[in-house]
Amino acid sequence: MSARISSGTPSVGTSGAAFQLFGGLRQIVLLPVIALLIVFGSLVHPAFLTWNNVTTNILAASAVLAVLVVAESMLIIAGKFDLSLQSLVALAPMISAILVVPVESYGNGLDLNPIFGLVVLFAVGAAVGILNGLLVARLNLNAFIVTLAMLILLQGITLGISRGKTIYNLPDAYTFIGRAAPLGVPLEVWIALAVIAVAAWFLRFSVIGRQIYAIGGNVDAARATGVKVERVVFGLFVVASLLASLAGWLMTARIASVTANQGNGIIFTVFAASVIGGIDLNGGRGQILGAATGVLLLGIIQNLLVLSQVPAFWVMAIYGAVILLSLMLSAAASSGGAILGSIWIGTGGVTGQAKAGERA
Amino acid sequence: MSVDVLQGRTMGQGQLPAPMIEVRAVSKNFGPTRALIDVSISVASGEMRALVGRNGAGKSTMVSLLTGLLAPDRGELLIGGMPPASAQAVACVYQHSRLVPAMSVAENIMMGGYPRGTWGQISWPRLREAASRELEPWGLANIASRLVEEIDPVQAKVVEICRALARSPRVVLLDEPTAGLDRRDAERLFDFIGQLKERAVTLIYVSHHLDEIYRLCDSATVLRDARHIVTAKLGDLPKQALIDAMVGQQTQSPFLGHSDSKTRSAVELPRVEEGIRLEVKGLTVTQQVVDVDLAVRRGECVGIAGLEGSGKAEFGSALAGLIKPDAGVVRIDGESFRLGDVRAALRAGIGYVPQNRHAQGMVTLLPVSENATMTATRMLARPLIPGLLDVLFQSDREKAYERLARQWQIVAASPQQLIGELSGGNQQKCVMARGLATDPKVLVLQNPTAGIDVAAKASIMRSLRDILARGASVVVISEDADDFALCSRVVVLNRGRVGRELGAEWSEGELVAAMQGVE
Repeated sequence: MSARISSGTPSVGTSGAAFQLFGGLRQIVLLPVIALLIVFGSLVHPAFLTWNNVTTNILAASAVLAVLVVAESMLIIAGKFDLSLQSLVALAPMISAILVVPVESYGNGLDLNPIFGLVVLFAVGAAVGILNGLLVARLNLNAFIVTLAMLILLQGITLGISRGKTIYNLPDAYTFIGRAAPLGVPLEVWIALAVIAVAAWFLRFSVIGRQIYAIGGNVDAARATGVKVERVVFGLFVVASLLASLAGWLMTARIASVTANQGNGIIFTVFAASVIGGIDLNGGRGQILGAATGVLLLGIIQNLLVLSQVPAFWVMAIYGAVILLSLMLSAAASSGGAILGSIWIGTGGVTGQAKAGERA
Repeated sequence: MSVDVLQGRTMGQGQLPAPMIEVRAVSKNFGPTRALIDVSISVASGEMRALVGRNGAGKSTMVSLLTGLLAPDRGELLIGGMPPASAQAVACVYQHSRLVPAMSVAENIMMGGYPRGTWGQISWPRLREAASRELEPWGLANIASRLVEEIDPVQAKVVEICRALARSPRVVLLDEPTAGLDRRDAERLFDFIGQLKERAVTLIYVSHHLDEIYRLCDSATVLRDARHIVTAKLGDLPKQALIDAMVGQQTQSPFLGHSDSKTRSAVELPRVEEGIRLEVKGLTVTQQVVDVDLAVRRGECVGIAGLEGSGKAEFGSALAGLIKPDAGVVRIDGESFRLGDVRAALRAGIGYVPQNRHAQGMVTLLPVSENATMTATRMLARPLIPGLLDVLFQSDREKAYERLARQWQIVAASPQQLIGELSGGNQQKCVMARGLATDPKVLVLQNPTAGIDVAAKASIMRSLRDILARGASVVVISEDADDFALCSRVVVLNRGRVGRELGAEWSEGELVAAMQGVE
């Protein structure tokens, strides 16, 4: 897909430390596209470029996606992936909420301390991650089938234990991250930014981070230099599931409730954002900051679709078309000039979006 | 021969430097197979030693022992006085690249030990500096920041050598470093490797190409049939003597005639009819096959011999339509056909038995009958709706299979048995049958008897004889003398060009010498 999109990029930067921190041009190549979209958006709707719209409707609304994209991107870079991440978005908060809320709100009567409930939330993620890791890294089963089965299983469990009901009346400990806004920016945004920053730093500056790239790039080479491949992959599955639990908490805090189907279908958007952001599905290529710009791009497009009052029933179709178009253009660009080509994706994205708007 | 005089002696020098590698009476078995028998070798510090031997001589086992990947069953192996596994004392540059293409050259070199900063984070500036230091002596410091996928293959080899040296090993082992490089690139690589001599690195050089060895190495150790035959300074060992040491006394072969004389006076060769069946003119594939001509008569079997990288494999693939040559014409019974098109080659009458039956020859999860008739699906199908839908009846397929099975003596429980369950010999016979299912005029075989037992070999030779008797022509591509038993002549390729042509009578030593390009 975007196999060679980064090939024109100097990887160990050639011009100074700041550049190196960004790990090359590819990561910021979507920025001009985003800038174009912002200009376009502010012309389309006066409310677009307001503080509230940007921080709440674009950034905060993208926080869940961002955390999931970070988790999935690390796995994809190592040449693996995990479909079941989306089911944890519902399962982890559901189990923990049922243990915490009173019976009247469909709890199971245990009335656990909310802090303890949050521990359970992450423990569920860890357990699922360990199971996935064992099946994929140790038993060497196919990641697609394992995590697809896990996805179905976990969604079924969520439905079973909640009997399809939505849990409201969550304690403050669950919802404060959806309400707090230090420095006028929602806490969820800060959390997502922190996850992105830590992951980006980790992948660039830690030895294990580099081993993740080596595993995805050439597993024999990784083994030849002493990388314990199975252990790293196992650890990645656990970390990814923990991040998915965090994403579940963020979503729960945002909607102040837990529903059995929250997060359904988000995994497709996760893959789309990752690939648009330059993560190579074949592994070994792509950067977290790039994937983050992919999230931002999709967030802005989503917001523009809402603001331009596209009928709600059509939003999904148009969103899908826009993603498809971006992917096709990035594939075309990867066979041409890398950087110029990638900017091309963007203008394509804009026109695609504009056309979509007209049609609607 | 002078080889016998030199036997077992190492470096006829008066005072030897302390040996860096000491292999003492090492034996290694894999099940019933004896891979190394009582081998003793010592390599001095700073020496460049070639390790040579034909396929199956025990070279790769020796490499695995030196790198600590395997432990000897008996005997002792010391690198700088220590067992190899504990010291990570030997850095190996493998034939197939172990670089990460999407990473920078600098990172690939330093992957074994990243330089760290204050908080334990990777220090990229120091990493680049250290890598540049490694690249400096090769004059390649400017490529440190580039991605491995952007550099040329010679530079990539040098990067792998740099990575090996960055670990400051006691010994560097190069396994077929010129594999996959063309002549010009190989020359460039030699210039680089030659520098290692000035840096007093102890080097083990494994290669099939004797000319490389004579250019680069001080001495050579020859293995044959799991035994240490000779170690000598290359100055004292003429190329012909080295080849004799590799080939040894001719052992009796069930397919070659006389065992006592060193000359192959051929087994009764098939009668060759008049008339050219296959004609190849000026076939060229990049730099791998250069301007090769060949003419094969009806009922004739011709051998194509050559080392790995001689272009013989590409020659065969080009005939079969698997790769598109840059130039050249191939005619069958005077008619040329589109090259680089498998279906055109099949239609023109070329049957092909690929080099590696596991990778290209068979679908292990399908029945033996389906495998054997895979190429002939079109011929066996009947039109259900003419021009639109052809169907293949199981009974037709099995009838065709029965015929092939008789001809090739394939032993399977039933036509429905999965090919993956058969023995190697029967699998190979089935792959051959597939090559013949279309009734080809020319059958092209690559390494037809690799990895199968003597009985299966004999049966394959019998079947080939039948095919030749029916007037088809056969081209056998191999480096194994036994495979050429039915050939009226053997054309030897050297680095893509036609070298010598051996007539009906030749010895194995002559064949090896011709493949090495020795006059």
